[in-house]
Order: sequence, then C-alpha cells, then structure tokens
Amino acid sequence: MFEARTKSRLKRRMLAQAVASNLREVNPHAPSRRRGTLGVWLAVVAVVVAAGTWGFVAAKRSAPRTTTAATADLPAPVASISAAPLRSGPLPRISSNTMALGVRRVVLDPGHGGGDLGTQASATLIEKDLALDLARRTRERLVAAGIEVVLTRDADVAVALRDRAEIANRAEADLFVSIHLNWLDPSVAERGVETYLLGATDDPHLEALAESENSGSGYSFADVRRLLDGIYLDMRQESSRRLAAAIHAELLGALRQDDPQLRDRGVKSAPFLVLVETGVPAVLAEVGCLSHSRDAERLADPAHRDRIATALAAGIRRYARRPEPSGGPS
Amino acid sequence: MSEKNAPKPVYVGIDLGTSQSAIVCSNGERHTAKSYVGWPADMVARKLVKKRVLVGQEAIDHRTMLDLHRPLEQGMIKEGSEKDLAAVRELLRHLLEACGLDKSNGSAPPVRAVVGVPAEALKVNRQQLRNALKGMVDGLMIVTEPFAVAYGSDTLLHAMIVDIGAGTTDFCVMMGRYPTEDDQRTLTMAGDAIDALLEKAIRERYPDASISSFMVREWKEQHSFVGKPRDRVQVTAPVAGKPTQLDITAEMRAACEALVAPVAETVQDLLARVEPEFQDRVRRNILLSGCGSLMKGLKEALESELENLGGAEVSRVKDPIFIGAEGGLAIAQDAADSDWEKIVG
Repeated sequence: MFEARTKSRLKRRMLAQAVASNLREVNPHAPSRRRGTLGVWLAVVAVVVAAGTWGFVAAKRSAPRTTTAATADLPAPVASISAAPLRSGPLPRISSNTMALGVRRVVLDPGHGGGDLGTQASATLIEKDLALDLARRTRERLVAAGIEVVLTRDADVAVALRDRAEIANRAEADLFVSIHLNWLDPSVAERGVETYLLGATDDPHLEALAESENSGSGYSFADVRRLLDGIYLDMRQESSRRLAAAIHAELLGALRQDDPQLRDRGVKSAPFLVLVETGVPAVLAEVGCLSHSRDAERLADPAHRDRIATALAAGIRRYARRPEPSGGPS
Repeated sequence: MSEKNAPKPVYVGIDLGTSQSAIVCSNGERHTAKSYVGWPADMVARKLVKKRVLVGQEAIDHRTMLDLHRPLEQGMIKEGSEKDLAAVRELLRHLLEACGLDKSNGSAPPVRAVVGVPAEALKVNRQQLRNALKGMVDGLMIVTEPFAVAYGSDTLLHAMIVDIGAGTTDFCVMMGRYPTEDDQRTLTMAGDAIDALLEKAIRERYPDASISSFMVREWKEQHSFVGKPRDRVQVTAPVAGKPTQLDITAEMRAACEALVAPVAETVQDLLARVEPEFQDRVRRNILLSGCGSLMKGLKEALESELENLGGAEVSRVKDPIFIGAEGGLAIAQDAADSDWEKIVG
C-alpha cells in the first residue's frame, strides 16, 4: 500500500512517458529530448558505424578479420561531436533498438542435406527433407510479405556449416534462421518446441546436441576463438535473443492451437557453430520432434508443415517490425 | 471563436478488441459493441436491413445477408485489407455515435481519445490505427491495453496485469514507470484459440451436429470453466435437423484449460525478469482482466500452476469489460491540455 501522493506522482510520470512515446510516433523527426547521455550515445553510434555492419565493437582485437568488409576505409567519427573520449576497454552493450535496424533480406538454412540425413523417424520422414520443405514453405510466406529470402540450399545437397554462413554473409542478409527437427529421449516420450541462439551452456544434453550439429564444421580452434571473441560485445547477441523469442512465441502459439499439451522447451543458448560466423542475428529453431511418434505423424502432414511455416514467417515478421522503445525520457 | 466560448473537449477511452470493443466517455456515456461490421450484400439485403451498414450484434444477427467483417485480428487491424480498414472506421463511428460524438453533424465537441492496443502491437499497426481514426477524433493517444487497465485500476507498482481477450492475452509488469518492451508480452493463445479448440472437439464428438463458430463462442461465453465442473454443460444444437441436447462438459473444460499453461509460463517468465527483491510482491499481485478473466475457476487454476514459485495471489478487476476503456479515459483526462496540443500538432 502506498500513499495517494506517491500514486499521483507515479501517474504523472507515466503519463509524461506515454505522451512522449506518442509524440515520437506522431513526429518521428522531432529532436530527441533525452538529457545528459546524448553525447555519449552519439559517440557510441559513431564508433559502431565506423566498425562496419558486422557490429564488432571490441576495442582490443587479437587478430584482424580476414573475411569481412575492411574497417580501415570506414569514415572517422564526426569531429564536431563533443563526446566523452572513447574508452580504452570494451564498449558497453548497445541495445539493438538504438539502431532501429530494418529487415530486408532473410537467410533460411534448412539443416543437413545430401549424405547428412539429420534425424530420421522412418524411411520417408527424414530431417533433411522436412527442413528443406519447411524452408521453402516459409520462403513463400516471407516473399508474400515483401521480404527477400535466400536459402542456404534449395536442393538435397550437403553444405558445410562454414559455407552456410558464407552464403548469409555474401547475400548481405539481415537475419539467419536455421531450421531443424529434434530428436529427444524416445523412452520418456519427450516432445516440444525449442529455439536456440548462440551462446555457452552448461547443460550436457545441449552440449552433446551442439557437438553433433557442429561435427564436420570445417572450423579450427583458432577460427572459433577469433569469432567468439567479439560475440558478447556484439549487439547481435541481444537481437538474436529477440529474434529467438519472437519465433518461439509464434511457433508455440500456433502449434498449441492444435496440440495444447505441446511442451514449451524454451529459448536457450547453445554453441551451434552454424550461428557463429554469420554476422547478423541468428537462431536455430527445432520446430518439431521426430523421436515422438505423434509429432512425427503430424510432421508428415503438409497442413501441419504449413502451420509451422506460417509461424516461422510470423515470428520473423514480428521481430522485423518490433516497436520503438516505449520508455520516455529518464 | 474566443477561447472563452470554445467548446470543452470530451475525453474518451476506447478498448478496441478483436471480438468486443468498448468506449467510456467523460460525458457519462459507456457502450460496448461486438467487433463485427457488415454491409448489405445486394439490393435486396439493403432493402431488408434498411441501413447502409450494420455494426455489432445487429451485424451478427443479419450476417446471412451481409458482407460481414471482423476487422481486427489479434487485437490489431488486419493488414492489407481496405475493407477491414473501412470496417474499423465504421466500428469506431458506431461507438462514438453511441456517445453522441458523431463528427458528421458538425456540432460535436472536440474529442480527445486514448485507445488501447495489444502489448506487442507493431509500429505499422499503430500507424494504421491512427489513419483509421483520422477525422473522427481531434487528438489520439495510443497506449498498450494492459497499461490502460493498470492505470484505470490504480495498479501501478509491483503488480502484473494479465488481460485475456479474444485475439490476444496481454501481460504487463507494472514497476511504477511506463512499461517498456521487456515488461510486456502478447500471446496469441486467447479466446479465439479456445473457441477453435472447443469447436474442433465438439465436431469430433458429435460429427452429425450442425454447429457454427458463433454458437460455439456463445456457449463458451456462457459456460467457460477450468478445473472440476460444478454443473454439466448442456447445450442445444440441431442434429439431422432435430434440436438435440449435447453434453459438452469435457470439451469445454479441455478447451478452456489449454489457456492455463501458456499464461502461467508467461507469468513465470516475466516474473523472472523482475528484480529479485520485488518478485514476491509482484507474484502476490496478479490482476486478471478482459472477457477471458470471467472464466470460472481460472484464478484458482493459475494459483495452483504458480504454486511451485512459492505461491501467487491472483485477483480479477471488478469490471473486466470496461476496465480497459475506463483506464483510457482516465489517461485522457489526466493528460494536460498542453500535452494534447503537442500531440495534435
């Protein structure tokens, strides 16, 4: 219980923030009224722009990148900004909302392919085929919504993990979504939906899963070390988390309409290498479970796969058009 | 006209719902309408209904002769459909007219409106809403629906609002500030999803029964429950043309209970993001609103699901149908004239 005066003060503050949020929508070009930290944010934005589209903003780098756009040619920060000097250590995490980046092109990555079957429920229900089918259905829906789509494979061929990331980077994609089917413990009839972003885990099951998915990656330890160095300073991590949450919510919502008992296995981090080299928000979606007979039956039904594809597209679109931050001036 | 003689503005709060919309005005008027709009399908229908357009229950009752639209999907205007945009305008016009605020007769006072939208409504959807209301109101503020509920029920600090509608279930953690993205969630598991599950289950059990989605929705609105049934749920529907009583107790229970797990999981997820020293307070202050909150046994079921968190206390707002619109009205009235002038521009 708190006093009437406190309540009144809270209401006034919230009202001011609601008004500010609406003013930003009505007049998006009006100058920001944020106080105090504006100069620092401008300096941070300038540094991010100078670092290039990859968003790696670590001040110390162990080795220069060899595969990305050169950072040397990028413009220096604007001289007129009277900002606090750049720190010598790593820069703080930047919210992806600050950049308000759009989504124009998405890479869909059907897992496995060719000699790499993935998991298998029967001779005709094979992960590599289902993943490709789902990617194609999802592509249809995204293209209808005006989003360009590139597939890492549009046929039953093997594509190395490294090459999948290369495809995404060459295509200058804005998002990367890898589509997989799960294999859990058949003895306990486990099934559900889970969505991953790149990160560490201490779950031995997830480690084993990542190890299985990472096998034959073509990466060396040095490669992985170099790539992982920048990951946690990268605003991509936060965007990946949002993308994973958006896709996961849509999948769960859609699939539970037909199957209310479907388990929410959550949004998790795991060290999937296919998500490492892509320099954009990247997630891996396990959209069904081939180890569970009921799930496998459903996956054999094109209407169910349509439902999954619709949900994947809806999740991507939901992420793509996320609202501006609703917080007002501090 | 001098400032002294300028008409005083009227303030309104509008809850634009997928299935039902509500309006509350500072002039004392309050109305609801089902979110359906229909235009006569042909000249014969036009002659029969004697109106250019029908809105709400009237549209549903005459649906066989109308081009019927339910223009909101998951709480927002359906994209890419001119007709649905027109339908939203007719719905809003109907609500404003019911309060005596029709702009077409030229004598209505200025109207300042606050409209609630789902917590995760996209920027493009909010812009569509602004376009739909152009010319109908003189000032418009858009807020999230659960925030409007929180404001209207004075639940501003260490609380969680769970607003269960037809298209969406919206969640908002109130921490004494305007909620950010991280404080809010929208689930598409809501009233419409329950209707779909219920209809499917009834058709599976009674394949020869003739039922429609409107009938199913009505049965749900009258009989929804979770947990042990207090009474059997008996409804009447034609089977091979003959009115027949059907027992749909198990089907109703299963469909309604499908809501519980996703809501509990989302509550848990949001709670986990609250600062640790405040989590207990929020957990003991969960407020249900929206038509879905009227489901019998829902409060107890959620408390049971959240038992493993150390217990939760769930309550329901007094007037779940109007609370969102009332909150919008409170916001509209509390905002200063200078704020409204800035928004109008």
